[in-house]
Amino acid sequence: MTDYISAYSQSGQLFVPRLFQGFPEIKEALMSNKMQAAFMVAPMAIALRAQGVPVKIVYLGHRYGSAVVVRKDGPVKTFADLRGRTVAVPSRFSDERLILFKAAHDNGIDAWALHMVEMAPPDVAGALAAGAIDAFSMGEPFPSQAEMAGFGRVLFHARQYWPDYISCVLVVRQDVIEHRPEAVQMLVDGIARSGLWLEDGTRREAHRVHAADFVGRYYYRQNPALLRWALTKPIDRVMYEPLSPRRRDFELIVRLMRETGVLDHDISFEEYTDTRFAEGASGMTPWKYEAGSNTAQ
Amino acid sequence: MRKLLFGLVTWVGAVTAAHMALNVNWSVIMNDRLPLDKRKLNVAYIPVT
Repeated sequence: MTDYISAYSQSGQLFVPRLFQGFPEIKEALMSNKMQAAFMVAPMAIALRAQGVPVKIVYLGHRYGSAVVVRKDGPVKTFADLRGRTVAVPSRFSDERLILFKAAHDNGIDAWALHMVEMAPPDVAGALAAGAIDAFSMGEPFPSQAEMAGFGRVLFHARQYWPDYISCVLVVRQDVIEHRPEAVQMLVDGIARSGLWLEDGTRREAHRVHAADFVGRYYYRQNPALLRWALTKPIDRVMYEPLSPRRRDFELIVRLMRETGVLDHDISFEEYTDTRFAEGASGMTPWKYEAGSNTAQ
Repeated sequence: MRKLLFGLVTWVGAVTAAHMALNVNWSVIMNDRLPLDKRKLNVAYIPVT
């Protein structure tokens, strides 16, 4: 979204967006310096840093926007019904897996009784429809895809068990932070402005509908109607503000990672985040851009 | 024979031009040719929130 709008601004395109289909490929591209920055699930970013990979989290991609989905006409009616069933998650290192542990704890259930399998996000809705899995825990627009197609039902949204839930974060290579901080700041400023544009008061819904159109067609290669559903039903299904990395949010993720066996030692907030760019973007204003306009400010 | 060759060259040229226009990401190629300090950052994303 930032790329599309910024192309109409005086500064022009701020960065080069590159589409991937899975998080492991993104991880490899980041480590080999093919990519200098990436959006990835927060636990994966923390795990990379804990393993000594020189990257830092500088900003969030969004808040909320993940849900656990089951078959509409299937046997799973409550969280307890997931015991012994197959649930797809995007990665072992994902908040979508951690939310299952959190929900299990709140329901007094042993999360290890769920059979969790890793699956690439674009495959989960088809797998649910075909009966290959009983449920999936995934970010949008895949819960919307199952709902829209009529075979899926949201068992719960992440916010129900995890207030201020975060999933995707913006990760930047340490060498880029050190040598090109102005480029990182420009990127974070642009994302901050996009977030504010999507949450822009009375224009919020119109902006989301327009974003669904151009992101679906030019970036996600998905049906714009699907993204429209994900961004507006309800309007706070995915939120784009506040996007600054907050210590308490990440310390909860680290604790859950430790408890669920995907992180073998503690790591401090300062080791895996660099908040100076979020602080630098704190005074940003929404993009001045409307559908059909050929300028953005 | 000459007509056939002309047709073949035209067809290959048209397909190549269409491929370069539709499938090649020129912004990536042009960006990678810039000096390191002038390059825009390559940012990876997947089609999920």
